Amino acid sequence: MPVIEVEALTRRYTTRTGFRRRTRKDVEAVRGISFEVGRGELFGLLGPNGAGKTTTIKMLITLLLPTSGSARVLGHDVVAEPREVRRRIGYVFGGDKGLYERLSGLDNLRYFAELYGVPAREQGPRIGELLELVGLTGRERERVEGYSRGMRQRLHIARGLLHRPDVLFLDEPSIGIDPVGARELRQTVASLTSQGTTVLLTTHYMFEADELCDRIAVIAGGLIVAEGTPAELKSRVADGHVVEIEVFDGVGDRLDAVRAIPGVTSVGVEDGGHSQLLVVRTDAAATVTPAVLGRLDGLALGRVATREPTLEDAYVELVRQA
Amino acid sequence: MRTSLRIFFLGGLTSYRALFHWLTPWILIPTFVVGPIFQLLFFAYVGRAAGVGDDTFYLIGNAVELASIPCLFAMGNTIGNERYTQTLGLLLASPARRLPLFLGRALPVVVNGFAVSFLVLVLGALVLHVSIPVAAWAPLVAVLAVCAFSCTGLGLASAALALRVRETAVLSNIIMGVLIVFCGVNVAVSALPAWMQSVAQVLPLTHGIEAARELVAGASWAAVMPLVRDEALIGVVYGAIGMAMLFFFERESRRHATLELA
Amino acid sequence: MSTLRLVAVGWWLQLKMRSRSSFDGLLSIVYPMFFATTIFFMYRENGDEAALVSAAVGASCMGVWSAVSTTASTTLQGERRQGTLELLVGSPTSFSLVIVPATVSMATIGLWSLVATLLWGRVVFGIPISFDQPLVFVVAALVLAFSLGLVGFLQAVSSVRYRSAWALGSLFEFPVWLICGFLVPLSILPDWVRPISWLLPPTWGVAAVRDAALGGNAWPDIALCLLTGAAYAVIGVVLARRLVDSARVNATLALT
Repeated sequence: MPVIEVEALTRRYTTRTGFRRRTRKDVEAVRGISFEVGRGELFGLLGPNGAGKTTTIKMLITLLLPTSGSARVLGHDVVAEPREVRRRIGYVFGGDKGLYERLSGLDNLRYFAELYGVPAREQGPRIGELLELVGLTGRERERVEGYSRGMRQRLHIARGLLHRPDVLFLDEPSIGIDPVGARELRQTVASLTSQGTTVLLTTHYMFEADELCDRIAVIAGGLIVAEGTPAELKSRVADGHVVEIEVFDGVGDRLDAVRAIPGVTSVGVEDGGHSQLLVVRTDAAATVTPAVLGRLDGLALGRVATREPTLEDAYVELVRQA
Repeated sequence: MRTSLRIFFLGGLTSYRALFHWLTPWILIPTFVVGPIFQLLFFAYVGRAAGVGDDTFYLIGNAVELASIPCLFAMGNTIGNERYTQTLGLLLASPARRLPLFLGRALPVVVNGFAVSFLVLVLGALVLHVSIPVAAWAPLVAVLAVCAFSCTGLGLASAALALRVRETAVLSNIIMGVLIVFCGVNVAVSALPAWMQSVAQVLPLTHGIEAARELVAGASWAAVMPLVRDEALIGVVYGAIGMAMLFFFERESRRHATLELA
Repeated sequence: MSTLRLVAVGWWLQLKMRSRSSFDGLLSIVYPMFFATTIFFMYRENGDEAALVSAAVGASCMGVWSAVSTTASTTLQGERRQGTLELLVGSPTSFSLVIVPATVSMATIGLWSLVATLLWGRVVFGIPISFDQPLVFVVAALVLAFSLGLVGFLQAVSSVRYRSAWALGSLFEFPVWLICGFLVPLSILPDWVRPISWLLPPTWGVAAVRDAALGGNAWPDIALCLLTGAAYAVIGVVLARRLVDSARVNATLALT
C-alpha cells in the first residue's frame, strides 16, 4: 500500500478585497494532481514559487481542506481523519520562524513532545538522540533567539521527528541557510530514509532534488508536468547536449535565427552581468555548434562549451513548456 | 519657511497614518472612546464607594489625563516604529530640517490628545450628569489643548528615551502610571506626601488639571492664567529636552555608527 | 494523566516565556500598582480603615485581570506571527488544550501583581490585612487566576479575526474592574448592571478572595467562580473548534 495517495487533488483560494464593495477573486493554486509515494521513498515536489507545492503539502498535513479530490496518508483520509494523520506525520518548513524564540532549544522540543503525546519516560532519551542527530548537543540550553539559521533549521527537523513519524513533510527546508548548513541538512534527510522514514520534500533547488530524491514530480501552475526519477527526467527532455556560448554583445536579435537551426530544441539566455550566456539545447551538438557560431558571426564571443544536460535543464524545459 | 511648513504638516500626517493605522474605527473606538470613558467611570465610582471627591472632580481629572494615551503612546510609537521599520536612519540622515520634521510628527498627536480629552469631558458630563457652567466651556477647551500640548512634550522626551531603552510601550505605560498617581487626577495633589507634591509641580497636567477644576468652580480665565502659563512652559521644557536628546543621538550615531536602528 | 501533564508543561513553558518579556512580565506587575497606589490614596483620604483594607484586597486582584485582558487578544496573532500557530493546529492535540495553558499562564503572572500589591499596601501604606484563613485565601487566589485564564481563553479565540486585536485590551480592562466588585460594591451600580456582573467569573473570584482575607465563607464564591469560568471555557472550546475548521477551509492560519 502506498504511504501517500493523492488523487485529482485541487485547491482554490477565494480572496476578498475591499471593505465596502467586496470583490471575490478565485485563485486555483492546485488544479488536479495525482501521485503516490511508497514506503521509505524520498519523493520530491519540485517547482517554482507559487506552483502549488506548499498548498499541496498543507492539504496533506491536514491544515487545509482540498476543494476537491482526495488524499490519504498511511491509509487515513486527510479530511475525515485528521487526527489519525497528524499523529503519524512530521512537518518541517524552511525559514527561521516556527520556534519559540524566548525558550531554549530543549524547551521547544519538550513542548512539542507533549503536544505529540510522546510518553514522559521516553522524552528525555528521544530528545537527546535527536539533538545528537541534528548536531545540537551542547547548545540545547541556549535560547533560540541566539541560534543561527542553520541551527534553527536543524532544531526544526528534530522537532518534526520527536514522535518518530512514519512520514516527514519537508517544505523548502534549506531556504536561507548557507551551503555548508544545506549540505548537512541533506545528509540528515538522507539518513532518515535509510531508517525507513518516508519523506516528501518540496524545493526549488535542483541539485538538492537531484541529490536526494528517489522520485520527483515537477509541479508548475498547479499541475504536475512530469514525474519520474531524476535520471528519467533528465533524459526525457534533453537526451542530447547543451551548448553554452558566452556573448559580450547584445544577442537578442539573433535568437530566432539560432532557434531556426535544425536540431535545436530550445534556446535560452542567462544574464551574467558584463556578458550573456546563450544556452542552446540540442540533440546533435557536433553539427549544431558550428551552425550556431555562424549565426552569431560578428559578435564578440567568449567561452564555448558543450556539456551533458543537468536536472536543471530538464526542469527549466518542463516549466517553460507548462 | 514654506518648505519647513510642508515638512511640518505633510511629514507629520503621513508618518502618523503610515505608522499607526490609528485611523480605523476598530482601533479608534476601543482605544480613544470606550477605554477612556470606562477609566473615568471606574474612578468616579471608586470615589463614590470611598466617599471621597465628587463626580466633577473625577471628570475633570480623568478627561485631562486621558490625553496622555495618544500623547505618550502615539508619540513613542511614531519615533519607535521608525526605528523598527528602519526609517529613522533615513529620517535622521535626510537633509530636511529636523526641527519642523519632529514637531510635525508631534502636531497630529496634540490634536489627537485634545480630541480624546474633549470627548471624555462631553460624554462623561452626560453620563455622570455633571453640569459645567456655560461660561467655563471656552476657557476649558483652551486648557485641554494646552495640556495635550504639554503632555506631547513629555511624549517626545519619552520617545527620544525609547530610542535607547527599546521597550517603548513599557516606558509609555510607566510614565502614564506616574501621571495618574502624581498629577492630581483622582487624588488632590494636596493630599499627597510632600515629596510627591514637589514632583507633581514639574510634571505636565498638574497645573492644567488644577486650572480646569478652578474654571468649573467659577474662576475667571485671568485667575487661572498663571497655571495655564506654567503648564505650557512645562510642555516646552519637555519638548526641548526631547529634541535635544534626538539631536544628541543623531550626532552620536553619525560619529560612531552605533544608533541601534534595527 | 497525559493531558494533565500536557497542560502543566504548556503552562510552565508559557510562563517562562512571559517572564522573559519586560512587557508581559515586569509591566503587568508594575502597572496595576499605579492604580492601586491611587486607590490607596483615595481611601486614605476618607479615613475609614475597614474600607481601606477591603480596597487593598480588591486592588490586589486588579492585576490578575489586567495581565489577562491586555494580552489574551493578541496571543493567537503572536503565535501566527512567529509561525508556530500552524504547528500547534497541526499537532494531534486539541487546540483548546494548547491555548488554555497559555492564557492561564497570563493570569499566573497576574498573581505576582496580587502579591506585590498586598506587600506595597502593607509596607508603604501600612494597611493591615489579617488573613483570617490563609489557606482558603491561597485557594481563592488560585481559583481566581485559573478562572480568569479561562475567560482569557475565550477572549483569545474570539478575537483572532480582529486585526487590531491589541486594541481590545483597553476595551475589557476597565469595564470589568468597574462592574465586578473589585472596588465598587455592586450595590451602588445601576440595577441593570448586576446580572451582567453575576455572569462574570471575576465577580465571584474577587468576592472569594475578599472573604478569605477578611473573614467570611469563601467557598460558595470559589465554587461559583469555577462554575462561571468553566462555562466560558466551554464556549471557548466550541469557538476554537469552529476557528480551526474554518481556518482549514479558508487558509487563515498562516500569516499570508
